[in-house]
Amino acid sequence: MAFVGMFGSGKTEIAMNMALKLAKEGENVALADLDYVSPYFRSRDKRGFLEEFGIKVVVPPGKYVWADTPMIPPEVFGILSNKDIKAVLDVGGEEDGIAVLGYLRTFMKNTTIYFVINTRRPFTNTVEGIVTFYEKLRNRARVDFDFLVSNTNLGPDTTEEVIKEGEEIVKKASKILEIPVAFTVVPSFLKDCDCEFDKFIIERYMELQW
Amino acid sequence: MGEKIMVKGTEAIGEAAIRAGCTVYFGYPITPQSELTEYMARRMPQEGRVFLQAESEVSTVNMMYGASSVGVRVMTSTSSPGFSLMQEGISYMANARLPAVFVDVVRGGPGLGDIQPSQGDYFQVVKGGGHGDYRLPVYSPSSLQEAVKLTIHAFDVADKYRTPVVIFADGMLGQMMEPVEFPDPVDLSTLPSKDDWALTGARGRKARYVTSFNIDPYELEKMNLVLQETYRKVEAEEKKWEEFMTEDAEVIIVAHGTVGRIVKSTVKMAREKGIKAGLFRPVSLYPFPYERLSELAEKVDIVMTVEMSAGQMLEDVKLAVLGKARTPFYGRLAGVIPTPAEILEALMKEIRR
Repeated sequence: MAFVGMFGSGKTEIAMNMALKLAKEGENVALADLDYVSPYFRSRDKRGFLEEFGIKVVVPPGKYVWADTPMIPPEVFGILSNKDIKAVLDVGGEEDGIAVLGYLRTFMKNTTIYFVINTRRPFTNTVEGIVTFYEKLRNRARVDFDFLVSNTNLGPDTTEEVIKEGEEIVKKASKILEIPVAFTVVPSFLKDCDCEFDKFIIERYMELQW
Repeated sequence: MGEKIMVKGTEAIGEAAIRAGCTVYFGYPITPQSELTEYMARRMPQEGRVFLQAESEVSTVNMMYGASSVGVRVMTSTSSPGFSLMQEGISYMANARLPAVFVDVVRGGPGLGDIQPSQGDYFQVVKGGGHGDYRLPVYSPSSLQEAVKLTIHAFDVADKYRTPVVIFADGMLGQMMEPVEFPDPVDLSTLPSKDDWALTGARGRKARYVTSFNIDPYELEKMNLVLQETYRKVEAEEKKWEEFMTEDAEVIIVAHGTVGRIVKSTVKMAREKGIKAGLFRPVSLYPFPYERLSELAEKVDIVMTVEMSAGQMLEDVKLAVLGKARTPFYGRLAGVIPTPAEILEALMKEIRR
């Protein structure tokens, strides 16, 4: 599976949580950090933590983990081709970040692609905004997306109302785009909240501790 | 105030500038602030305003000079090497008395350095990286809500004193995400009038010019004295700082920006150990809040400075403390972020000495 979307839509948190969930279920999991556009807050920052759960973390070699240059580690082709591995791709944001999927697409026949949306982010706060950027990203990726993910949140200030408001907007976008909503992301501190779509409960691993 | 949204620091500053009435933005991409340029590329046309990507930072600053000369609110953003390239133009703008807002999202240096967060541009930004006797008001936010407030304030200060103003944001502040609220956009017709100096067309009035040049040294000295008078006013009126648990503090830690935020955690950890620590966080780096820090220094033995640099703000801290307390320093360089625990360890070492 691959998580795509705009800058700061929550792709990395969801990819990490998904990889951890699959690993805890006993799957052989690899997480590929394909974000070559953001300088910080990438899943590679939590590599050691993920590896403790037996997850193979695919990142550029050595010191190049600190770079923001378009390097695709060759292992990515391996984890996408190996049927025994559940591959989770954490893709960089916006048109420049998603361009990598075009390059990988012949290896992605069995990869489900999730378009992650936070309606409390600039540019995807309306149905029209979501539709516009969905099309832009899909054109750049040269692959079709399979699902939308409703990830409306305000970090530590997220409330049940914020999540529900996001679901409403994403639902409307889903109708226009004719693509289903896979799930709604819910932070663990609101795990009992009432959602329209299936819940995916996450911990926020990237949150700053100060 | 509108509803809360989740933003990156770069977006917070960009949107705040739009709300403050920034009508022209020039920029050239550089990590870790390119998202600010990208944000403005999308948002400025939506507002019917001007976004222009220049061919370099040198042309950016000269475009700033031109746009400011006609009286509009103008901003650019860059990161350390880009800010270096702008220095000549900033010095020209200072003497031409041109209001403008510069955002320096500081990264590891010197030279090409790296793309991780740093505060190593303090000397350059605060003491003046260009030539001649000029100063720039500089603000260092430590949260995104504060970045919004200070960006809007920066435009007001720029217009009030007719000077370029800098937002000093390290890379972490530019890249981190927080929920913020934005104030309603300012009504452009309510902005301060610049009709008494801006180049608005000379029909019906005497022609005027905006320049940093005067071949007559006595006349140039007069221009310099106007600047100096302005800086004395800025120093009297524009100091800003935050204190955290300083009331009963026995040791003071001085830190700005992201490090100020980290040190808050250090102060709490120290207090759990029974050490009465407090944070003094300069918000305006120029004018530096010397007097208040000087007062606080009288009651303590240690005033420790922590920076993501080799000790640059430390010189201003020493000027404030003037030997009344010990002034140790702890810093990380090149883009490494100190943790609350390692700062506490450095503080403990000083206390035991």
